[in-house]
Amino acid sequence: MLAYISKKVLRAVLTVWIAVTITFFLLRLLPADPTLLVVEGDMTEAMQASLREQYGLDKPLLVQYVLYLGELLTGNLGTSFRQLAPVSEVIMDRLPWTLLLAGSAFVITILIGIPLGVYAAVGRGKVIDKVVQVLGVTSNALFVPSVAILFLVVGGSVLGWFPIGGAIDPDTRGLAAYASLFHHLALPLLSLVLVQLGPYALTLRTNMLEVLGEDYIKSARSRGLTPRRTIWRHALRNAMLPALTLMGLQLGALIGGAVLTETIFAYPGVGRLIYEAVQQLDYPVLQGAFVMLAITVVLANLLTDMIALVLNPRIRA
Amino acid sequence: MTLQPPSAGSSPVPAVPLATLTTMRRGKGTGSNRYFAKPSGYLSVAVLVIFAFTGIFGPMLVERPSGLGGDILQSPSMAHIFGTDDLGQDVFAQVVWGTRVSLIVGVVASIIAIVIGTTLGLIGAYVKKLDPIVTTLTDVMLSLPLLPLMILVTALAGPSVTTLTIVIGVLSWAEVARLIRSNGMVVSAMPYIDGARVLGAGPGRIIATEIFPAVVPLIVVSVLLTAARAVISEAGLSFLGMGDPSSWSWGRILLNAQRSGVLATAWWQTLFPSLAILLLVLAATIAGIRYNDSRDPRTKGL
Repeated sequence: MLAYISKKVLRAVLTVWIAVTITFFLLRLLPADPTLLVVEGDMTEAMQASLREQYGLDKPLLVQYVLYLGELLTGNLGTSFRQLAPVSEVIMDRLPWTLLLAGSAFVITILIGIPLGVYAAVGRGKVIDKVVQVLGVTSNALFVPSVAILFLVVGGSVLGWFPIGGAIDPDTRGLAAYASLFHHLALPLLSLVLVQLGPYALTLRTNMLEVLGEDYIKSARSRGLTPRRTIWRHALRNAMLPALTLMGLQLGALIGGAVLTETIFAYPGVGRLIYEAVQQLDYPVLQGAFVMLAITVVLANLLTDMIALVLNPRIRA
Repeated sequence: MTLQPPSAGSSPVPAVPLATLTTMRRGKGTGSNRYFAKPSGYLSVAVLVIFAFTGIFGPMLVERPSGLGGDILQSPSMAHIFGTDDLGQDVFAQVVWGTRVSLIVGVVASIIAIVIGTTLGLIGAYVKKLDPIVTTLTDVMLSLPLLPLMILVTALAGPSVTTLTIVIGVLSWAEVARLIRSNGMVVSAMPYIDGARVLGAGPGRIIATEIFPAVVPLIVVSVLLTAARAVISEAGLSFLGMGDPSSWSWGRILLNAQRSGVLATAWWQTLFPSLAILLLVLAATIAGIRYNDSRDPRTKGL
């Protein structure tokens, strides 16, 4: 068990290290000279040189790399060009909203996706199976902004049931604040769940089909267990395990979806921040956002690995 | 087919969604008859052919949308069947010109991803010493949030169709590598591979002439599914303003609608490019599933 945990933690550290190394070499090797990006307009040679010195760009690449890693370890992600504030602060302001959106979408997708996959597998070849398959493949082909725009127009503008932007009404307090929070969250959440649902349901269906053909399922049934208990307690538990690995891997796509959804609904998360940073060519923010989102995904991945540990006695042994 | 042991490490569980839709099958059966046995078979091919023709010949027939037009924000009519945007440009012309970019990026990026993914996957499947490196690299790529990474790279390299194609291709190989590796391992364990080794064939030769042909059908499926993902990635990046400013793209049409604040009013400006994305991606995905199913009668899908 300790070997399992240390292996997972090691992989998490490795992934984060590779992510920050990619960003470092991207920034240094791609044609854009960071000093030319800071300020537009004319700069004298002397100003450029002093800027390079300030950013440590006059030092050898390897020294720069070590300095960069050191800065990251102390939580310094640089300074935003446009907001003139530390990137880490700018991103930390926004990250909770993205976590709320992506996290609740993850939970709801699993809560809907698992029963869909189970019912499809149990009723293999029947109407429910066909419906789940068609929905799954369609959901997998959906373009997040298209879905989000549809919900925005129908739910926000035509029906007027939901707000079309923001995350919370700043004037509300107490219970009303929570109500406002969910009111604003509903449409972005729905868009994200709809797009994520397909892969989850289809994966679980495939895993369930395999498990349902196993001998221990037949033996459970022949011992007199109800079909219901056999399916939900015995089969699902084993079908969940490979599905869990895949759910962890799907987290990166979930974050990508959140970025696009936030853009449409002007939801104040990291995704919307990225959209704004793109418009303003604020490279430190783009870089910091990627690093922070990578860390988020890696941590969430670790969490699913630990859940697998709880569910699977074979790892604990 | 046996249940994968839910082992702690990197068991060859294929990735979502490529592998949910694909299974490995040995054996005969060309399956072109079976491919077209269901309507979804020929319908998906027909849609792909229509898109291909639109992408190749459309821009020769439809004038390139540019400049300012007199009819601003017109709803669909006989003159402008998809309506016009806030600059008076014809949305139909934008969608037609966007088709070409979507297809180029989708196909070329998919080929790049397939070449990298297949090479790494086959190496991992046969060369035991290199397998941990391939597996780790694949897992890391799979767990990174790719869209933010694509945004960062594109922003630094400068947005253009070439940049988008390379960035999407170079960052999308992981699912392919995982799929090819897990199925290549099954092939590697077969007796005829030992036979080839005994006859004196080196690793390069065995991979190229013995294992590679066995996974070709999977590669065909992967090309279609990876191209579908690439089209979505391209649309997403263009929608975030990372597209080529000098060429049309479906994502850019949506971005224009968002920027000019007509999302709620000019439904035609978002509906038609959205439908184009959905149809193309759906057709490519279903064509991939049908191809896979036509080789394997056990999985009866769409």
